[in-house]
Amino acid sequence: MDMQDALIAMIQQADRQGAGRLLDGWGQEHGYERLLAEVLEPTLLMIGEDWLSSETFTLAQAYVAAKVAEDALLKIAERKKDGDIAPPSKGPVVIGNIEEDFHSLGRRMLGIFLASDGWVVHDLGNDVPAAEFVDRAVAVGARVIGVSAMMLTTALNIKQLRVELDKRGLSGRIQLAVGGAVFLVRPGLDREVGGDGTARTALEATALFSRLRQASTEKEVTP
Amino acid sequence: MNSTERIVATLEGKPLDRRAFIPVLSLYGAKLTACPLDRYYSDPAAYLAGQIAVQREFEPDILFGPFAFALIAAAFGSAIKASSVQAPNVRRPAFTTLAGWDELVMPDIDHNPHLLYFRAAIRAMAREFAGRVPIAACLPAPIDIPALVMGMEGWLDLVLFDKPGAQRVLEKVNTFFVQLANRLFAEGAMVAFLPCGYASPTVLNRDPVASLMRPALAQALGQLHGPAVLHHCGAALLGHLDILAGLPQAIGYALNYDEGLTKARQILGEGSILLSGPLGTSIAEMDAAQVKEVCRTILQERDRQKDQRFILVTLGADVPWHTPPENIHAMREALAEVGWNAA
Repeated sequence: MDMQDALIAMIQQADRQGAGRLLDGWGQEHGYERLLAEVLEPTLLMIGEDWLSSETFTLAQAYVAAKVAEDALLKIAERKKDGDIAPPSKGPVVIGNIEEDFHSLGRRMLGIFLASDGWVVHDLGNDVPAAEFVDRAVAVGARVIGVSAMMLTTALNIKQLRVELDKRGLSGRIQLAVGGAVFLVRPGLDREVGGDGTARTALEATALFSRLRQASTEKEVTP
Repeated sequence: MNSTERIVATLEGKPLDRRAFIPVLSLYGAKLTACPLDRYYSDPAAYLAGQIAVQREFEPDILFGPFAFALIAAAFGSAIKASSVQAPNVRRPAFTTLAGWDELVMPDIDHNPHLLYFRAAIRAMAREFAGRVPIAACLPAPIDIPALVMGMEGWLDLVLFDKPGAQRVLEKVNTFFVQLANRLFAEGAMVAFLPCGYASPTVLNRDPVASLMRPALAQALGQLHGPAVLHHCGAALLGHLDILAGLPQAIGYALNYDEGLTKARQILGEGSILLSGPLGTSIAEMDAAQVKEVCRTILQERDRQKDQRFILVTLGADVPWHTPPENIHAMREALAEVGWNAA
């Protein structure tokens, strides 16, 4: 069994400590600076591709994957102080739950997966007004805002974020990723609230954010 | 037959004048009476007025006590936020770690204002509708209560990484749940509807559901003084229904119609009540014809037309504030058109 298969097996069994030992062993042998790109990212990608098509995929499995990734990121960050780790490559991203939404689990998992994928994550937390998302995105130079809502009533508040981006002339330059449980049960809601894209789960969202980042860049160079 | 007689006959598998239908209209009473929600979710008289309006307008076969789980969370110390169009929401959990449970003074069912509100609302409804319409208490299943108190992340952490800790929490929560549910039965509730998200195959794998959640549910439900309906609360349930079938006092199971109602009936056997229908959140967005079509599909194409113990309900969350009333009426119309009676 290779490293990725072994790690996936640990995650499926919710064996967080075992996964940690596995990653530690690999990091010590090959270098923690390679852990993110050579083990964590491809493993999470594989989980995303294999599990998301499975009817038996659970929130718990995604959660264990997020915790294992978080543990690994902490270890990598500890070594980063020694200067042996390359900086995250994909730039800043701003995430948060829209105003009046307090369901943080999906957003927290998204933050972990985005960090594992090389983003510098600015997590604004729950109940974030539209203007605050845009202010922070402008301040840190983010090309993507990820906004989460669990229920329809709160998801509709995302429209205000689109209004705010339009008002400041930032639509296109700053892309809007939307997600949360309600988007699964109501197809088309992402467009209705003004989103540029959505993903079924936090695991799938990393690919979406990369696509949106690319779209933002193309928008900038296209006259 | 009145609604009480109809529900009792459904439970007993006796002939019916028509099939029961149960839209979940806890919130909707406030809309019908134009009641501000901060009052509706704190004043039992305002809640009763809303449910009287619901009964007059739609004649559902069960009326629900307050569907406001954030108030349960608040009783434990979680911070909540009111809304003008939906039930209150949990803003911040009371605590996030196992240590919080060890220090927690459990809510006093006889003094906590939120819990007294639940009790008084059920008591007032039971008096008003005595012998005519059954009253259901809507409570989070004990396996879901920890998430309201410590957040989803805190509860998942325990369930997945600290099983003895999770068992300790469930023992504590079960004591509270049994006391509260039995008080609500004593106040006049005929049945308890229990959404159970942490039994869902979209949330947890089989192992924690079989080894942790089912034993906890069995222990709690076995002490209830009335029957319970396990509700899928918007997430799937069929994949774990074999684990959950046969729980003490569980007379019924509510599942999404897309999950396979025929298979659900096979797992449950003929004696259980099976409930399904359109999602509450979807019913708001459809037009009346679409609602009718979903109900017709369930009854005709999902083989429920001859199922004597099948009840048409709305699933998932409460029917939303902005739902057109004709969409709720469409459920009854669909039943009338397809045929009220189990053949």
